[in-house]
Amino acid sequence: MTFRTFTQRTAIAFSHILVATGVLAAPVTYQLRVDGLSCPFCAYGIEKKLGALAGVGRVETHIKDGVVIVIMKEGFTLDEATAKKTVKEAGFSLRKLEPAQSAP
Amino acid sequence: MKTVIKAGLSILCVWSGAAWSAPITFNTALPVHEGGYVLREQFMYMKIADDLTPAQRDMRVSGVMSVLGYGVTPDFALFGMLPWFDKRLDMTMGGQDLTRRKSGVGDLTLLGRYTAYQYDAPGRTLRIAPFLGVKAPTGEDSARDGFDRLPPQVQPGSGSWDVLGGAVLTYQTLDFQIDSQVSYKANREANGFRAGDVAELDGSLQYRLWPSSLGNGIPAFLYGVLEANLIHSARDDSGGIADPNSGGTTLFITPGLQYVTRKWIVEAGVQIPVVKNLNGTALKNNYVFTTGFRINF
Repeated sequence: MTFRTFTQRTAIAFSHILVATGVLAAPVTYQLRVDGLSCPFCAYGIEKKLGALAGVGRVETHIKDGVVIVIMKEGFTLDEATAKKTVKEAGFSLRKLEPAQSAP
Repeated sequence: MKTVIKAGLSILCVWSGAAWSAPITFNTALPVHEGGYVLREQFMYMKIADDLTPAQRDMRVSGVMSVLGYGVTPDFALFGMLPWFDKRLDMTMGGQDLTRRKSGVGDLTLLGRYTAYQYDAPGRTLRIAPFLGVKAPTGEDSARDGFDRLPPQVQPGSGSWDVLGGAVLTYQTLDFQIDSQVSYKANREANGFRAGDVAELDGSLQYRLWPSSLGNGIPAFLYGVLEANLIHSARDDSGGIADPNSGGTTLFITPGLQYVTRKWIVEAGVQIPVVKNLNGTALKNNYVFTTGFRINF
């Protein structure tokens, strides 16, 4: 095994370890089921409040389903207590917080 | 005429809370997010005409209502409303036509609203919010013209500290919204004149006309709006004597349209008095045209 091959194999193995430990994992995405959300003008407040949280990369609201998708920046997570408090501050009620599929 | 003017203007007094996707002519119980602002600019034109008395009074009022709402907490919001009026009264006196006119900033109303009951479910919400406010005499109330001191109806301000309070109920779904409000405004004396207290019962239905079905994201809504305002005004008191030609009950019906997006709303409506049970001199015709926008930030 040449030195170059050894280096390549080591790098690949190391990257597998990082992925396995979550260091290089894709950003975490959450689905918030929000009760009371029933008009476009109301959605602004909830997006503003959630968007201001540390580590939040993007917020998408689908009012038909009462769902707010929160895509975190790499290395950040969102806990239920914080989500519940933030949704309450926007004037609504959090029914459920659940991880969604990872962002592309 | 005083009663009709008062009924029309009293509607403007309770606009201060109407800053969300909400009725055009009165308040709502929908929230202002904590730390957030809602700005509303409302333009109105009111015509009061067809006076049957020899004075043949004809009054036209244009105005701009600036409303700023702030969410102190998720349940408590403060609203400030500052109007600007241009009031013109044409009349006949002694066979001569007479015009009395004044424009300027009106009285500032500050109002607090607390959400006392809230039930949220997927795609709908039910809220009840009492509110209490005070109207400060910031507008000019002793303006004069070449004839004399202008009558109270033409002054931009009332000169009095007044109190208003009430409660509003809102039921909102993705398809429609219903609002109902009861309110009372207690007027106090200034310059020897006290406008009669005003009690009001309001109802509003907003129905989503477009889009007929919702897709993903936050689509804009076009609401058809139908509102009713039942306004009872007590007799005015001038120099300690009740004015027999003041006070009474008016029912306004307001059809309108509202286009609602995530950031802003534009709207327009016409308030038409369908019932006028007034004391003393009755007037046949008047309307209030209103249009404006709201933004949140």
